[in-house]
Amino acid sequence: MSAPAAAPRARTWVSAVGANGAVVWLVCLAIVIALAAANPSVFLTADNAANLLSQTVVLALVAVGELFVVLTGGIDLSVGSLATLTAVLSAGIIDAYPYRVFPMLAGVVVIGALVGAAHGALVTRARLVPFVVTLASFYLLQGLAFAYSETPVGAIPNDLAVFSMANLGPVPAIFLVVLAIIGALTWVLARTRFGRHVYATGGSVEVARSAGINTTRVTIACYMICSVLAALAGFVLASKATVGTPSAGTGLELSAITAVVLGGTSLFGGRGKIVGTAGGVLLLALVENAFTLMHVSSFYQDLVRGAVIVAAVAVFSRKD
Amino acid sequence: MLSEPLFEARGVTKSFPGVRALRGADLTCHEGSVQAVVGENGAGKSTLMSIVTGVRRPDDGELRWRGEPLDLRSPADGLARGIAAVYQELTILPHLSVTDNVLLGQEIARRGVLDRPAQRARVREALTELGLGDLDPDTEAGRLSVAQRQLLEIARALVRQARLLILDEPSAVLSGDELERLFTVLRRLTGQGVSVIYISHRLDEIEEIADRVTVMRDGAVVATGPAAEFDRARMVREMVGRDVDQTFPAPDAATEEVVLEVDGLRLPGTEPDGITFSVRAGEVVGIAGLIGSGRSRILRALSGLEPAGGGTVRVRGKPLGRGGLRAAIRQGMVLIPEERKTDGLVLDLPVAANVTLPVLDRVSRLGVLSRARERATAQKQTERLRVRCSGVDQPAGELSGGNQQKVVLAKWLETGPSVLLLDEPTRGIDVGGKSEIYQVIRELSAAGLATVLVSSELPELLGLSDRVLVCRDGRIVAALDRVDAKEETVMSHAFGELHDDGGAA
Repeated sequence: MSAPAAAPRARTWVSAVGANGAVVWLVCLAIVIALAAANPSVFLTADNAANLLSQTVVLALVAVGELFVVLTGGIDLSVGSLATLTAVLSAGIIDAYPYRVFPMLAGVVVIGALVGAAHGALVTRARLVPFVVTLASFYLLQGLAFAYSETPVGAIPNDLAVFSMANLGPVPAIFLVVLAIIGALTWVLARTRFGRHVYATGGSVEVARSAGINTTRVTIACYMICSVLAALAGFVLASKATVGTPSAGTGLELSAITAVVLGGTSLFGGRGKIVGTAGGVLLLALVENAFTLMHVSSFYQDLVRGAVIVAAVAVFSRKD
Repeated sequence: MLSEPLFEARGVTKSFPGVRALRGADLTCHEGSVQAVVGENGAGKSTLMSIVTGVRRPDDGELRWRGEPLDLRSPADGLARGIAAVYQELTILPHLSVTDNVLLGQEIARRGVLDRPAQRARVREALTELGLGDLDPDTEAGRLSVAQRQLLEIARALVRQARLLILDEPSAVLSGDELERLFTVLRRLTGQGVSVIYISHRLDEIEEIADRVTVMRDGAVVATGPAAEFDRARMVREMVGRDVDQTFPAPDAATEEVVLEVDGLRLPGTEPDGITFSVRAGEVVGIAGLIGSGRSRILRALSGLEPAGGGTVRVRGKPLGRGGLRAAIRQGMVLIPEERKTDGLVLDLPVAANVTLPVLDRVSRLGVLSRARERATAQKQTERLRVRCSGVDQPAGELSGGNQQKVVLAKWLETGPSVLLLDEPTRGIDVGGKSEIYQVIRELSAAGLATVLVSSELPELLGLSDRVLVCRDGRIVAALDRVDAKEETVMSHAFGELHDDGGAA
């Protein structure tokens, strides 16, 4: 009853910074400084910078999409499979014909929207658990990709391949495209009515509903955003690889969730920012980059990933 | 008063699995009038309100708005008509800012893009009216006190400019000052023709604010009429369906044996040596004070739940050891917490499991539970405290508030305590349940327990206590004997000398 005790404890600076996703950027900065100091001749090259940023592109799309679903209190395990499916479909259908590129890009967006709408409808209207719904489509979509082709398939036109590999100095062109998408979504979350409704729905569905918010629509929209971005990531994967591989997106869902958690987002929904998730993506890319530069096996990379996740959760993602 | 009703509910019924929550309830709301709805917990008030707001749909019966049939499919429909509610459970989202909480679902936006200066201005206006003018609208709501959050809820309803405003137990966490301000706002709104439904357990509030009173019992309306026709005794009589003894059983159990000695206890952040008192076996010592005065913190510090900044605490002459809560329990001092549902019970577990939770080693052998012993233990305690449940296997969450509280008491009595710390033992419990809890407290004193009681309901505190301590700014500022402890005296001490001049005494 007494007011001071009912108010939550004053937050430590760590959790305050963590909630804003700033910690992960500080860690990124520290790694960059360490790598630059340890091996400037390799790390501080335009080639390596471009390589590093290029590595973030696909995961950034998927992770930011995942963030929207996590903000609603859900989770999407199907993003990797969806990216795989759109990768094989893109390369297979375009099959090196330039005139098919833009229709296929539109088709990829439609596929993403349909998959996301199905997820959202099953979660809201049929009241199924997000984990189970998207676990099922994780297998379904991967199965469809294999049914389409069990081996790398198709080809993409030269112009698209060149674009997806092009660098403007140390910055890949495609990175700028993804940056623009992420910037727009950041603005949507921070400054629009829809953004507020996302946070409110994730904070408490009942509260949001009783405030007159159409939580069903908000939730479905978030699943659609997530799936569209994952589908686009598949298109990018095909463009970069110039073929569609039926394992192109394998493991993306876990990396995406990792990036979301590293960015200080609450898995219970209602709290988290894109800037944090973006930092999480960069951190994962930096770790990978560092291990490559130091010629350490990828096995150790997974060890470090696990340790980093536990550390991140211990610092700022405690259940409250 | 004889204007056409703004809103009417006729013959509304609603059933949940195993419960008929509403059995043909009627409610009529006029413009510019405060319609009080009273009734014991479980009488169907909150269910009726959820139907009025569109959160739930009635099984049968009809709603009318200005004489026209009204079909509410969702809260959004109700809000569109101008039906807004301040709910009993706090619905503030802790991670959103004050602005976002107040304007939830009501964001000021142009083509979907938030107009932040306009939002801030609107929120400040509503907060100022509620006396929160100096609150920064960008603060995260989770950092506010419970009372402030309740005021945010009210602000949320204010900015909606509702035609029909429902307040479901708004006062439970508000101080007298805040309540006065709320009443001022309500009077302004009714002056503008707004219709208000006011639900409260505090009958003095009803007498002060209501124009009409509706009494509910067992899912039906049992009486309705102008407030002038309802004095407290009648309201209580209609609510429980019988005459309830409103007087408190007289305390007479105090002995000479001192059980609890508190010497110079200090709450962190307050001045030292503020809290010194003792409690004898069979005695009930009440701690009065305003919200935020530290009265609940004293209990938490004693129980080891919160660290104390200094001082000594002795139970039966033995200084309290280190080890916080567990040490206190070992030495026989237990806290019955204010938040029954979250801190006192595991709602999904049966009564028996709840009761034996602190004494699992006694009902198990080599770590294996004996179901028989568990049930026997629980049976004994629930019979002693007259817990009304279908059996000790019933989940605690299914019991009424009063019976849940008895289960919490049973659980701690099982540890064989000598000091009982009661924090708001009857909060959210209906009238009938309250007098049963009072009876239990009396019986426990008679059995020799020393009790420290905190309650924001002054009549209850004064009625139960042998002595009353008044707390202000984390210190005990007055100790009054039962005969001297009158409401006015206690309040003037609670407010401090400054307010004494204001004529409270």
